[in-house]
Amino acid sequence: MADKHSPSAGILATLAWRNLWRNYRRTLIMLTAIVVGVWAMILFSAMMRGMLDEMVQAGLRVLPGEVQVHHPDYQDDPSVVNSMSAPKGKLLQVLNTPPVTAWTTRLKVPGMISSERDNRGVLLLGVDPAGEIALGFDPGDIVQGRFLESADDKGIVIGRKLAERLETRLGKRVVIMSQNPYNDVADRGVRIVGIYRARLQATEELFVYTSRALLQKMLEVEDEISEVAITADNYEHVDAWWRDIDAAAGPDLDTQPWTVLDAYLGSMYEIQGTMNVIIMVIIFIALSFGLVNTLVMAVFERVREIGLMMALGMRPQWIMYQVLLESLMLLSLGLVIGNALATATVLPLESGIDISVVGDGLEMYGMGATLYPTLALEDMLMSTLIVLVLGLLASLIPAWRASRYNPVEALTKT
Amino acid sequence: MSITTRLAWRNLWRHGRRTWLTVGAMIFCNTLLIFLISFQFGVYSLMIDSALSVVTGHLQVQHSEYNDDPRLRYSVPYGIALAERLRSETKIEAMAARGTAFALASSEKRSFGIQVMGVQPTFEPLVSTLPGLVKKGRYLNNNSSDEIVIGSVLARNLKVGVGDEITLLGSGRDGSFAAGVATVVGIISSGMNNLDRSIAQVPLDYFQAVFSMGEQISSIVVNVDTLSAVAERKSELTATINEPDLVVLDWDELQPGLQQAIQADLFSAFVMYAVLIVLVSFSVLNTQLMSVLERTREFGVMMALGMRPGSLARLVFLETATMSLLGLAFGCILGAAVATYFQVNGVYIPGMEAAMEQYNLPGELYPQVSIISVMLGPLIVFTGCMVAAIYPAVRLYGLQPVAAMRAV
Amino acid sequence: MSALSCNKLTKTFTQGSQTIKGLDDVSIAIAEGSFVCLSGPSGSGKTTLLNAMGGLDTPDSGEILVGDMRVDQMNKSDLADMRLHNIGFVFQSYNLIPVLTAQENIEFVMQIQGIPADQRSAKSREILAEVGLADHEGRRPAQLSGGQQQRVAVARAIVSNPTLVLADEPTANLDSVTATQLMDLFAELNQSRGITFVIATHDARVMEYCRRLIKMEDGKIISDQEQPGRGANV
Repeated sequence: MADKHSPSAGILATLAWRNLWRNYRRTLIMLTAIVVGVWAMILFSAMMRGMLDEMVQAGLRVLPGEVQVHHPDYQDDPSVVNSMSAPKGKLLQVLNTPPVTAWTTRLKVPGMISSERDNRGVLLLGVDPAGEIALGFDPGDIVQGRFLESADDKGIVIGRKLAERLETRLGKRVVIMSQNPYNDVADRGVRIVGIYRARLQATEELFVYTSRALLQKMLEVEDEISEVAITADNYEHVDAWWRDIDAAAGPDLDTQPWTVLDAYLGSMYEIQGTMNVIIMVIIFIALSFGLVNTLVMAVFERVREIGLMMALGMRPQWIMYQVLLESLMLLSLGLVIGNALATATVLPLESGIDISVVGDGLEMYGMGATLYPTLALEDMLMSTLIVLVLGLLASLIPAWRASRYNPVEALTKT
Repeated sequence: MSITTRLAWRNLWRHGRRTWLTVGAMIFCNTLLIFLISFQFGVYSLMIDSALSVVTGHLQVQHSEYNDDPRLRYSVPYGIALAERLRSETKIEAMAARGTAFALASSEKRSFGIQVMGVQPTFEPLVSTLPGLVKKGRYLNNNSSDEIVIGSVLARNLKVGVGDEITLLGSGRDGSFAAGVATVVGIISSGMNNLDRSIAQVPLDYFQAVFSMGEQISSIVVNVDTLSAVAERKSELTATINEPDLVVLDWDELQPGLQQAIQADLFSAFVMYAVLIVLVSFSVLNTQLMSVLERTREFGVMMALGMRPGSLARLVFLETATMSLLGLAFGCILGAAVATYFQVNGVYIPGMEAAMEQYNLPGELYPQVSIISVMLGPLIVFTGCMVAAIYPAVRLYGLQPVAAMRAV
Repeated sequence: MSALSCNKLTKTFTQGSQTIKGLDDVSIAIAEGSFVCLSGPSGSGKTTLLNAMGGLDTPDSGEILVGDMRVDQMNKSDLADMRLHNIGFVFQSYNLIPVLTAQENIEFVMQIQGIPADQRSAKSREILAEVGLADHEGRRPAQLSGGQQQRVAVARAIVSNPTLVLADEPTANLDSVTATQLMDLFAELNQSRGITFVIATHDARVMEYCRRLIKMEDGKIISDQEQPGRGANV
């Protein structure tokens, strides 16, 4: 403070700190409450973040590629008719520059798969195996056999659950069927060379991998593809670059980020931040009654002292600063301990919590059966900000009241 | 009013502001809990309702293997007759027989693999909301005609309209080749994409003919009046059927995800509630401890006059109880008012449309206010507050009158 | 020039349904360096007058001048500054901030004046020695006797070299030996530093020290006379 009559902050700090510990029981109770509150704030946001991350990861794992380019009619009518040629020119150029880390093309059409025993409707994916792996397909998810090995591999890879449904197994032949652009049903017998597992059962039942060349040949569409899938290895930052792809792809193609491709995930992702803040604010409000109460009591007990300080020439606003400083110290202490405690709680859990008891329910939310809480600096800062700002706002009432005492009345209070 | 009650009441208002702040914390917490719990109840029952009323129903009679492995060969023999018998013996009206099979549906332009359902046009509307959602054309009205109603997205994908033909190809129950051509008579639009993409219904007799089912069906779907009656109806049906190969499954067995989704949500919500309740209890602990400490001298005098520590502890509990009751009463009134307001007017959460669709929910949600949803939270808060008073009360037992009177 | 002058001060309080005249048309001028006692029974208005002089309380009407400053026209912050720089207070009890040590209590005033730490420390030790408490700087108020607490209060009152020290019943809680010692300290400071003292009291031992004795009753000055003060020479 530049004012020559300003007290050094030192004396205010000394007073605030010592006053805080005058009634140590009350301070400790309030401190515990703040610690519990802050701990809960961070724990909840870590859980939410973990849940959401799990949902998005699972969602993106289903068909990797945070940004996808399609024929404009493909989304509405995912037929082989609505396919396009492989990227070239400007689009190809953008795909090969950072931040894009990998991209691949797929021919993706609805079809049927039949074993000797049964048949199912599935989504046939004609892929480039190397491209899929670069994009995020984990070969470790192959539980039997192998993944496709080349862009013209003659085999087929299906999900564990689908194999069960079809009563078939590795090495058996199945027939895949789909419609070609001439409205004829094309089919082909293929051998199951691999069986994969996925986080969601629905995925295992739906996606069937063939090589891109095989599917193109079966459907008589040389070089045609349904989509270009692109990744930059960070789904959170997709907003920063997907428009560049969009611009390069031009108006004749439809470019969409995952938040649009999967509206459910996108909206969950959107509201997550707001939800976090709402939960934090609710916890804070529950806390604030106790905080205000503690400060009101602290001021009430010290009315005479406040009168004395005023008589000695302390300006009313410094009395206010002193109460606010006391509150700030209490809040900061609570924040430090709360954050430390939350970190200590969440870190060991980051390796995953098994919640398969409600696994089917979580599948409904689009989640796997393991929750990985994620500690984020962002959430810790947000909770700190909320506690400090709202805490000081709530403390303004008792602090302001303290500064409004009339010194004579305050001094004579018993 | 006894002297202790009067004493407790007056003591509370010695520090009116403090008391109100503590009561305020309870009111806030109670109001919030009532609203949230009512809201959850509302959402859950809506989730269950909308999930079950579309296709699943409350109960289904199936072959014992069918639920785990839905194949045509795991079927219910003479299903239509069985449904008739059950209807007359159990007096449950809402009962319909169905057949379900997988087929490749082709129009002139497109083909898709779909789930085809054979239904009884007379009874299906009693167990499902779909017949009421026909937006173009009409629902099925004849048990054996070669007609089909499909979802609007499927119609768009197949590029067909009312009057067009769809070819169904699949395999029959005996493994033979199954084929049929049906005319689209109606298009169902539920507003939910996933549903509108997959619905395809044909008359049951026609279904049985196409898929070589003979007198077999896949399941009998049963709807009961309320969720709470499900268990009773289930055992009644099981007893009436009395066939070792057949089972009656309730909605929880048919859609295990639903119940678990609710449990998962309920659990995470209760953790949050627990934190709120703990915070309010701390507030009470603080207030009561302060109030006991500042009255040390007074308590010393009272003990010197012959009051036992037990009576003082009772006084502290009485004060806490009074305060908590205030919080309970005001919280319940306010909470019930807020929840009822939204029960009437609905809650709309912007930005949640896609999430709602995922759970088959409409855009507006309605809390469900009941005695349980109103009392559950506040009673736990009340208990939490009383527990918080234990420490301040117990401290009184260690009080020495002389030392206490000298305390400042 | 007078250190302090009051002109036609009035102040009324309401107590229950009664209206009490705390100050009833009080005019008074106090010369620099004087040693004045305000006496009278409780409720006579002496504390009210003292508080008005120190800007702790505002009169309903009338003028108060400390030096050439119009106290009655100041806002709260100016009043606080005026008290900080020009006036020292000593109260009957509860004079010290309980969480601060003796030395910190003295430094408190200097700190809010914005005096650098090195000067503060030296000066507070010096002044503690002057009031005879050289070895007690680290004690908190609860660890000091009543007399010692009042001495610390006096030390604090004079540390910022005020022109005026206002004391309200400073000896009320002290035994006679301690009270005499405190009054000797006042008289000595009055002489050595020329500080003006105005003391509200109904303690006869205190009145003996004053060179001007103003008696009040029902908010009015009923007598105002010079007298040879004990222990003080002009």
